[in-house]
Amino acid sequence: MITGGIDVGSLSSEAVLLKGGEILSYSIIDTGADARKAAEQVYQAALERAGLESSEVDAVVATGYGRLVVPFAAKQVTEISCHARGAFFLFPEVRTVIDIGGQDSKVIRIDGRGNVVDFMMNDKCAAGTGRFLEVIARALELSVAELGMEAEKATRVAEISSMCTVFAESEVVSLIAQGVPRPEIVRGLHQAIAERTAGLAQRLGVVPQVVMTGGVAKNSGVVAALSQSLGVKVLVPQEPQIVGALGAALLAQKVVQS
Amino acid sequence: MDLYEFMRGMLRGQRWGKVLSSPLTYQLVEKALLLARGGFRWRATYLMGRFALTQTRRAYTGKVPVVWTSAFFPVEIVWGLGLCPFSPEVAAAFITSLGFVDRALNRADQDGYSRDLCSFHRCIAGAAADGYLPAPAALVASTHLCDGAPLLFQNLAGHYQVPYLLLDVPYQSTPEAERYVADQLAGIWNRLSEIAGRRPDPSSLARAIDYSNQFRSHLEAVNALRCRVPAPIQGSEMLNYLYVFFAGQGHEEAAAVFGCLARELEDAAGCEDRERFRLLWLHLKPYHRGELMHFLEEAGCSIAFEEMSYVYWPPLDPERPFHSLARKVLSHFAYKPLQRRVAVVDALARKYRVDGIVHFSHWGCRQSCGGSLILRDALQEKGWPVLLLDGDCLDERNEAPGAVLTRAQAFLEVLEGRKAACGGMGEQ
Ligand code: SF4
Repeated sequence: MITGGIDVGSLSSEAVLLKGGEILSYSIIDTGADARKAAEQVYQAALERAGLESSEVDAVVATGYGRLVVPFAAKQVTEISCHARGAFFLFPEVRTVIDIGGQDSKVIRIDGRGNVVDFMMNDKCAAGTGRFLEVIARALELSVAELGMEAEKATRVAEISSMCTVFAESEVVSLIAQGVPRPEIVRGLHQAIAERTAGLAQRLGVVPQVVMTGGVAKNSGVVAALSQSLGVKVLVPQEPQIVGALGAALLAQKVVQS
Repeated sequence: MDLYEFMRGMLRGQRWGKVLSSPLTYQLVEKALLLARGGFRWRATYLMGRFALTQTRRAYTGKVPVVWTSAFFPVEIVWGLGLCPFSPEVAAAFITSLGFVDRALNRADQDGYSRDLCSFHRCIAGAAADGYLPAPAALVASTHLCDGAPLLFQNLAGHYQVPYLLLDVPYQSTPEAERYVADQLAGIWNRLSEIAGRRPDPSSLARAIDYSNQFRSHLEAVNALRCRVPAPIQGSEMLNYLYVFFAGQGHEEAAAVFGCLARELEDAAGCEDRERFRLLWLHLKPYHRGELMHFLEEAGCSIAFEEMSYVYWPPLDPERPFHSLARKVLSHFAYKPLQRRVAVVDALARKYRVDGIVHFSHWGCRQSCGGSLILRDALQEKGWPVLLLDGDCLDERNEAPGAVLTRAQAFLEVLEGRKAACGGMGEQ
């Protein structure tokens, strides 16, 4: 049985093709302005990588904010369930999933069977999300990928008091003007994001193992700061950005079986 | 015929005060209501429409002094004087259903009402400033539960240059508190009669108390019938009866609405397709065009019961009207330590055999949302899945529609997982 999962997020879209328990291929693209087009493109890219035709795929499940605009999906499932399912597949001992995506963050508690028990979402503003990091990285003249390494150079942590994307950007600019070294600023930002996320997680209750998914998990600085704030080691999958799509592909197996 | 579309057409681009004070308007709407009657699922809805229409005509045509009452004020006092109570919160929900809320909210924005305030109050403030609402002879607000209403009413009393009366309700329900509230109610009764130039008539008040008791017992009958599975009526439908809940108690027609509904529910068959999940709904629902309620319906959810319909007060004594109304006010389960609301919600969830509980956290409503996290934790400890759904009953701008639906869908997925695992709480 071959199944597909498509995760259409606000910043990026991912597709995963799965055969049994094996990932055949995956792809990641920017969503851009047209979510429907992004879903088609990302799926096509994954099919090409796997050398498959769409007719060979038994079922596709769509997730993410754009899940309703994926015409070839047999079912739409929320990113909450998909991240839980994907993380559970990769880490069977996981009980808490933290997903920081492009525009929101979620904490998901799951049981020993990979079912969601409870969740919390912060989607009121982009503070502490992928979009936030993008804006700040630009102000620091770094790429998002460089932020983690930059933070490792810091010997001290600059204090960032604002988490509003707009205010934090101007705070960062003024710290640069005051001559605060860039690594310290980056470390301060990571800490601020971690504390905010930890607050959300603690409201739900953190049960180890804790797995972080979503694009921001690629930033080792945020992961380290989050581990410290939570007081538990935060595990990260090899490719954290595709966990939602992976979960969708796993749920598509159920669709085929039902 | 679509009654709302008809009324929208009448009011769009018009000066509301002029349209709504014309007797012709009511003749037309009454005809439209009659024509629309066949489309209502319940005859009770038609009766409520007729009742609300008659009272709206009384209010706008200046036939009788209008008294604005805040959502939790005991309106029996006003009916007992033969005056016309007007519930601006209900009017705000109606303005929203008609699709005119943005105009009122924008006006409130311009007048300096903060966006952090409850949109019911902002809509009222804007609609009052724009002259949409019937001019009151007095405004009466109660301090229990809704903390925004007394401040808004005070402001609006200045706007209309009319007296503002306040019912101060203590938090503890003791015999002294009961006497204190009863004395104030007697004072308000006297003061309103002076303002309206009416002689206070105890027998008329006793009649209002009697109607209020009828309302109560019919509502209890409705609630008892709602224990059936599948649910004979949806919570989303019950939440359309705001007018009788907040403005009708004490009038015979409001009692008749639920009397009729109880009779109708006796033979009503529920919809099996909507029993995939049974939900208990806390607080109000969106009255704007958002997709949430439709989404839940499509997903096969039954809102088996809602907090608003719970009969929390004991029957009233027509011989001691002020004391029994004081007891009614003081017995509200949400105007107590949070454990009380937890206990009530838990009991309702069991009684109506629900799978999960949804708290619609209306932006700016401190009385309902202030303790929602604690409420949620306590209910979860009792084994209930709980969703705190952030939204706004009137102001769509305060909602991220995708996020509301994602949360709702994710909650249903949680319920699905639980059902698959253990058959759900409803089976206990
Ligand atoms: S929603 Fe809350 S704040 Fe708004 S009118 Fe009702 S009780 Fe008051």
